[in-house]
Amino acid sequence: MTLGYVELCARRLVGFALVLLVLSLMTFVLARVVPGDPARMALGPSATPEQVAALQVEMGFDKPLPEQYLLYLGNAVKGDFGKSLVTGRPVTEEIMSFLPATLELVIVTICIIICVAIPLGVITARYRNSWIDSLGRVFSLTGVTMPSFLFAILLQMLAATYFPQWPILGRVDHTLGFQASITGFMTLDALLCLRFDVFFSAVQHLVFPAIALSMSGIGQITRITRSAMIEHQRRDHTLTLRSFGVPQRVITFRYLLKLSSIAPITILGLEFAALIGNAFVVEMVFSWGGFASYGLEAILQKDLNAVMAVVMVAGIFFIVANLVIDIILALLDPRLRFKEAK
Amino acid sequence: MSAVSSSSAALQPAAPKVLSARYMAWYRFSRNPAAVIGAFIVTSVILIAVFAPLIAPYAEHVGSVVNFRARHLPPDLEYLAGTDKVGRDILSRTIFGFRISLLLVIGVLGVSVPIGTILGLVSGYAGGMTERVITGLTNIMLALPPLVMALAIGNVLEPNLTNAMISVTLLWWTWHARLVYRVTRTVASEDYIEAARLSGASHMHILFREILPNCVAVISVKTTLDAAYVILFGASLSFLGLGVKPPTPDLGSMVADGRQYLPDMWWGVLTPGFAIFYATLGFNLLGDGLRDMFDVEA
Repeated sequence: MTLGYVELCARRLVGFALVLLVLSLMTFVLARVVPGDPARMALGPSATPEQVAALQVEMGFDKPLPEQYLLYLGNAVKGDFGKSLVTGRPVTEEIMSFLPATLELVIVTICIIICVAIPLGVITARYRNSWIDSLGRVFSLTGVTMPSFLFAILLQMLAATYFPQWPILGRVDHTLGFQASITGFMTLDALLCLRFDVFFSAVQHLVFPAIALSMSGIGQITRITRSAMIEHQRRDHTLTLRSFGVPQRVITFRYLLKLSSIAPITILGLEFAALIGNAFVVEMVFSWGGFASYGLEAILQKDLNAVMAVVMVAGIFFIVANLVIDIILALLDPRLRFKEAK
Repeated sequence: MSAVSSSSAALQPAAPKVLSARYMAWYRFSRNPAAVIGAFIVTSVILIAVFAPLIAPYAEHVGSVVNFRARHLPPDLEYLAGTDKVGRDILSRTIFGFRISLLLVIGVLGVSVPIGTILGLVSGYAGGMTERVITGLTNIMLALPPLVMALAIGNVLEPNLTNAMISVTLLWWTWHARLVYRVTRTVASEDYIEAARLSGASHMHILFREILPNCVAVISVKTTLDAAYVILFGASLSFLGLGVKPPTPDLGSMVADGRQYLPDMWWGVLTPGFAIFYATLGFNLLGDGLRDMFDVEA
């Protein structure tokens, strides 16, 4: 078992490095080979030619492209994505200050997705073709098809109408005068500083963005869990268990759930890409001020160094998530380990 | 519905007659209420988009009409869905907004589906180095977060409909390539492919006449479901400020515009917002229905 496992992880890591390399090349091509001069784009039409030339030299845009790429790659490996063309501050530093907010949101979102979607999938499969199933189907279909910005806006309107006291913008009540300076996670830092009022406020702020962000994932995962459960219920191994007189409850939760969680977990990995994308929209609606807001700003301002870094970080985010998921899957599904080992 | 059920009732007495596979498929489809609703919604969206100038009560409001006397009017009999910040009829603009959404769908899927299909066919059939290069490329492309990439590409070029289309297309073919590749791999080892090869059929013949028909069901299901996602995707892009230039009405940017006047002017957001939802729901239901009808995994 262990050999197959180690080999699987090693293979995945090599693939990971390869994907990152291609990703870096693509972002570089995107940022450098497209028509237009990055320095001119960043400075705007009012800049003098001297200013543009100075910025070009400063950022190394005057060097030949292959050299620029190698330089970029070398620095990127060290975690240095250059300086922002707009603010002049190191991009990595800026991203690191915005990233925890988004990570916090995404982690809470994934917890919500798992806690809601998997039980819902199990229940709808168990009570298949009943009214519970239909209700679940409508719910998951709505999650999949409704744009997350519409969800976000509807939640905001709902809150504004029925819970006027409920905060719908930002991460925390600023009058509390608290800065998340330890980990950057507002809830965690508040707990670490024993500021329960801040913690409460941060949780309040988190609820709606996290729900809005989780809806599409809940829809997908519920559907997949349901169909996987139904699929496995029909198989011989379930029939065997049942004929041995194993209670349905034990079959469902001890055997079927493990088997049926393989498909939804795989999809969760792919769902990550959608999650990062939707974070752009949800963060904008809730003025969340995280990595996605930063990325959107960078893209709209054509701050190419920041854009490259944002795309890279989003890619890394997605790849790491899938790496973790591959490892979890290999733990759940021994067939994967053996297949890779051969 | 009633026409279908009465015709199937008419067929009942002649039960021993063997029903064609196509008829059975149609029967399964027409007996699935979700699929029929989906087909109805999709048809209505297409008709609304095509005949927008005839349906829209104020077709001229699609342009840069300004009527400040009528700005921010709530829905009433004159303006069924209210008016926006410069007094244009939101219903008319929403109706025309479907055009942009469908244009994006046609532009993106019209290019990415054939490309993905051909790459999938070739990689699944050729094997060896070709297979490894194409599947490798597909897997790498799948690792890119699409909305982030599309935003970056579209905006670095210049934010407009064509560039939005290009940026989405660049990312979209991968799903089809992967799907067709999987089907091709299973089909390519079948005996009849071997028989075709032995009887001297060209690679082109085997690829397009023997293997491709096996993929049609999967491709059509995936394409229908994709239409929903392209609409959603395009709406998210234009909601974030990358899409059609004003004054052309686009559902996503209409929601973004309306958002500034919430919660008082709710109609500015809800009409275009639910229009997007209506279209994506339709394509999704239809795609699910087709999947059940063809009985395929896509």
